[in-house]
Amino acid sequence: MSAALDLQHGGLEVARLGKVFPGRDKPVIAVEDVSFHVEPRQVCMLLGPSGCGKSTILRMIAGLEQPSSGGINLNGNPVVGPHRERGMVFQGYTSFPWLTVRQNVSYGLRINGDAYALREGTVDHYLERVGLSRFADAWPHQLSGGMRQRVALARALATTPQLLLMDEPFGALDAETRWQMQELLLNVIRKERMTVVMVTHDVEEALLLGDQIVFLSSHPGRVRTMLYPPFKGDDAICTREALRTHPDYAPMERQILAMMREEGGH
Amino acid sequence: MLQRVISPPPSEQPPATLAGVTTQARQAPPAIPVRQRWLEFKQPVSTPSKLLLGIAAWILFLLGWHLAATSGTEANPLFPSPADVSGSLWNLFAERGFHSDVLASLQRILLSFGLAVAVAVPTGVLMGAFPAVEAFFSPLVSAFRYLPAPAFIPLLLMWLGTGDTQKIALLVLGVIWFLITLVCDTVKQTPVDFIETSRTLGGSRRTILWTVVLPSSLPGIVDTCRQMLAVSWTYLVIAEIVAATDGIGAMMMRARRFVHVDDIMAGILIIGALGLLCDLAFRGLHWLMFPYLRRR
Repeated sequence: MSAALDLQHGGLEVARLGKVFPGRDKPVIAVEDVSFHVEPRQVCMLLGPSGCGKSTILRMIAGLEQPSSGGINLNGNPVVGPHRERGMVFQGYTSFPWLTVRQNVSYGLRINGDAYALREGTVDHYLERVGLSRFADAWPHQLSGGMRQRVALARALATTPQLLLMDEPFGALDAETRWQMQELLLNVIRKERMTVVMVTHDVEEALLLGDQIVFLSSHPGRVRTMLYPPFKGDDAICTREALRTHPDYAPMERQILAMMREEGGH
Repeated sequence: MLQRVISPPPSEQPPATLAGVTTQARQAPPAIPVRQRWLEFKQPVSTPSKLLLGIAAWILFLLGWHLAATSGTEANPLFPSPADVSGSLWNLFAERGFHSDVLASLQRILLSFGLAVAVAVPTGVLMGAFPAVEAFFSPLVSAFRYLPAPAFIPLLLMWLGTGDTQKIALLVLGVIWFLITLVCDTVKQTPVDFIETSRTLGGSRRTILWTVVLPSSLPGIVDTCRQMLAVSWTYLVIAEIVAATDGIGAMMMRARRFVHVDDIMAGILIIGALGLLCDLAFRGLHWLMFPYLRRR
């Protein structure tokens, strides 16, 4: 399964991206001149204080928001609107309450008429990947918050997108569940070898999951610096504990926290 | 057991009177009786109590009615007792073929409501889903909503005559505007995240309408229909007062001419009972259609 997926995965090119929202008095510049590149099968974290436009950037990559300037390319094709090649996991719970867990996960395949994938057990594969096989026939309201986000993750993965976008998917979860989900996601990303762009304001999450961190400054959102944490590439690091005891971890965290504090002074 | 373990050795035993006090203090204190109060904010009531309270309200109502009706020295024909009304109800069904009136009314209600739903639900869904459609229909619908449906009776009589068509048209006019507005409001509450999720999974406009917007708002739409059907029943008598030969309302108007107050009250009772049955039917439908909304 993974071998077949590898061929589809590609790189993301974000070039001189800008977004201006019409404000009440004057236009508000949310994102200004943001450029970065994500190699295939790399995980890119958009990190920054609130108001840095990280969610807006992600929404533009998803095609849910039109850029005011600049452009986005995925595998050389310009992004013009939402497409199943770019799956998205939102911060809020988006499992459809009228569908069971299995029906939620197979939703994307069904609306695209992908009978082949439905027959070949794709849904079961991703249910198992996120550890929800036992809950396939449950209704979303019977699940905990973390489980609902796993449904959303499996649903986004089931259509085998070339790019997985995540907008603070664990932001609404309690700390313990969030760590569990981060470790589960790390595991899934390594096994599925996905290209991922994920928005977060959690430094530890960015360091654990990212191959690349785009650190954004706020008002307007600009790229302040790029960081390349070595931890995700290291297969030995698959838990928080392993991450925290790594000798490179503490200096990097300090550096980012210092930048966060400066940005917060705005 | 515990008492024995922690009791001091005999040499240190305090005087008898004191010992008695300490022993008592060491025993589990008796539960302070909490007075069970009838009125408590947000405190759930058990099902049997609920049933009992509901039945008690009815018994009190009927008892009050009975006492009020029979308090005078002779029976007042303008204020019959519950027994009189149930007698005339029996009489209506057993001897005067009231069931054909009930059926005629029921048919008008179902037909008119079916028509109203068939027009209002698609219109309301499209208005709720697409702001442009709402901008087009909303001024018209809002204006019509404030026009009293009975005011149209003279017009409907001239246009449609005195037959069933006129009555059904009135019943449709009575509910359709509210139905459209309420369905529109329900559909507008579809979470944006749901719609965007479907878009990122490749959902087209039509797909999103059928697989997200509609299923997401269907429970609310069914609930709206249940409430508006009750309004339909309230318009029934108005529709059947004018130029009607059959129907519950027509029977009541005939009874008025002969001052048969018990028949009028029997008619009111039947409308109430049928309305309640419709409500229950819709609740049952809701329960069957949306298993995911059932309590765990």
